[in-house]
Amino acid sequence: MPYRVLPHTADTGIEGTAETLDSLIAVMSQGMFELVGRCKASSQRRWLTLTIDAETVEDLLVDTMSELLYLSETEDLLFCDFRVRVHPGGPAATMEVGGVPASAVEPAGPPIKAVTYHDLVVERREGKWYGRVYFDV
Amino acid sequence: MVFRRVSDVVWELPAIDGMRVPGIIFASQALMTLVREERAAEQVRNVAHLPGITKASFAMPDIHWGYGFPIGGVAATDVAAGGVVSPGGVGFDICCGVRLLASSFTEADFERFRDRVMSSLDRRIPRGMGRGAIASGSLVPEVLVRGAAAALDAGYGWQGDLERCEEQGLSSGADPSAVSDHAIARGKGQLGSLGSGNHFLEIQVVDQLFDPVAASAFGLDAGMLVVMLHCGSRGLGHQTCTDQLRLMGPAMARHGISVPDRQLACVPVESTEGREYLGAMAASANFAWANRHVLAHEVREGFAEAFDVSPEATGMRLVYDVAHNLAKLEPHQVDGRVIELCVHRKGATRAFAPGHPDLAQDIRGSGQPVLVPGSMGTASWVLRGVAGNPAFSSAAHGAGRVMSRKQAKQRESGRMVRDHLETAGISVRPGSVALLSEEAPYAYKDVDEVAEVCARAGLAAKVARLRPVGVIKG
Repeated sequence: MPYRVLPHTADTGIEGTAETLDSLIAVMSQGMFELVGRCKASSQRRWLTLTIDAETVEDLLVDTMSELLYLSETEDLLFCDFRVRVHPGGPAATMEVGGVPASAVEPAGPPIKAVTYHDLVVERREGKWYGRVYFDV
Repeated sequence: MVFRRVSDVVWELPAIDGMRVPGIIFASQALMTLVREERAAEQVRNVAHLPGITKASFAMPDIHWGYGFPIGGVAATDVAAGGVVSPGGVGFDICCGVRLLASSFTEADFERFRDRVMSSLDRRIPRGMGRGAIASGSLVPEVLVRGAAAALDAGYGWQGDLERCEEQGLSSGADPSAVSDHAIARGKGQLGSLGSGNHFLEIQVVDQLFDPVAASAFGLDAGMLVVMLHCGSRGLGHQTCTDQLRLMGPAMARHGISVPDRQLACVPVESTEGREYLGAMAASANFAWANRHVLAHEVREGFAEAFDVSPEATGMRLVYDVAHNLAKLEPHQVDGRVIELCVHRKGATRAFAPGHPDLAQDIRGSGQPVLVPGSMGTASWVLRGVAGNPAFSSAAHGAGRVMSRKQAKQRESGRMVRDHLETAGISVRPGSVALLSEEAPYAYKDVDEVAEVCARAGLAAKVARLRPVGVIKG
């Protein structure tokens, strides 16, 4: 698995590594939703598109994941497919996300309340992109 | 990190390396051992860096590792001296809190109607993901302004309820215009819903009285069946905190503030951004007060249905409703003079002493009720505020976690936890059986010891111990 769940007394974190920033955002988003539940491969997906502008790459990750939480809650979707394209020239990204009705997913964990800035890291490490983020559960 | 033991329940971390004040943790030796095993003490130290922080960075006996602030953290900043407000010192679940309802029933009554009560509440209380809400979303705009009173006027609750709510169920200074469309969209489907994680509704029995006079004033008696519920501002509050934290980063740079953890982002209370946050926070808090009010109404209806009586005949008067995630502007005496402080309580409960003018007349002589829930299977406590509280009138808010969710799931399955609880006479209706073990009693500290430390440290006094007999879990 390209991400790892980090221990925390009350909440949960994940860290991940990817070749590109596009992939890292996809991996971390996937990790966040897999903490909550997993879609069946056969389930019909509903696709949404979002675009995020941010000040820094850290903000880009947090803002993207926060927007996904908003969409998940208001659209009653659990997302499981992520196609990310980071725009050249600035920390911005367009994302296509596919999800299934959250109520149809067997939960793996409680819903995530929010993405925090605690111990947040998004940086290049040994030629790859590394990310770490904690969630309020 | 080296702590100096000040007394049997007080530990001090001297102010070093940029800390503006010392850190103070209220804990027994056993609880302090648990604190040392995780990163909560580091967070006590980080909070001590906040501009304008006064006296100490405090931590209650249920302290554990959070994000930015420790859970159980209390920090008061001097408003006139450039003191800051930090959304991380309130948390994402703005005004999360606990409400306790009395009743005219006993444990014997519950035994006769156990299945009917559990089934009625199971059916009526929305919880978990995508499970709806009791009240209409059209009520949300008014709720943001008027809090629990808006819910009362819409037919949820009883006359007299508001007097038994902290701040009468209304956070002053609410600015609904500072609450984003995103936040309102999330809140519209969630007014009157429990949520998930550690949120719950418990049916409990008053097991032991430690202060019969205060218990009587609060409306409690030995053997009484009571209902405790724990929830907050749901997605509306989560989104408001997310929105405000995003604004705080650039604002901090403008104010020349740096902090050791980005989640501690803060701005002066007396700044445009500080006032905007407090306005948005108060509006979100009003959603939380109303949310618990609507849920309590549904509990009364559910008991009436189960016992086949009118809601009024259930005798389910409100004992009290407390918040444990808020920042409040309060006057406190510091070094012999009264000053205005912005008191952040992140997983800590306000605990006003007897005689405080903000308390309703009928409980003013006893002090503010402080509600300290356990976690299924374990007791919960009713404490009361006392004079001379050393932490700006604050006390514990729960047992405090000791085990990660992953560890808790590895120890027992949800089915095993449910079976153990049922064997112990505690009926359980979880939102998900599989997730039950994440909130198992063994994942939390000993709540009896937390209450004992509160008493020995002069944070609050014991009034009653409550024993669970039924759990509706988020």
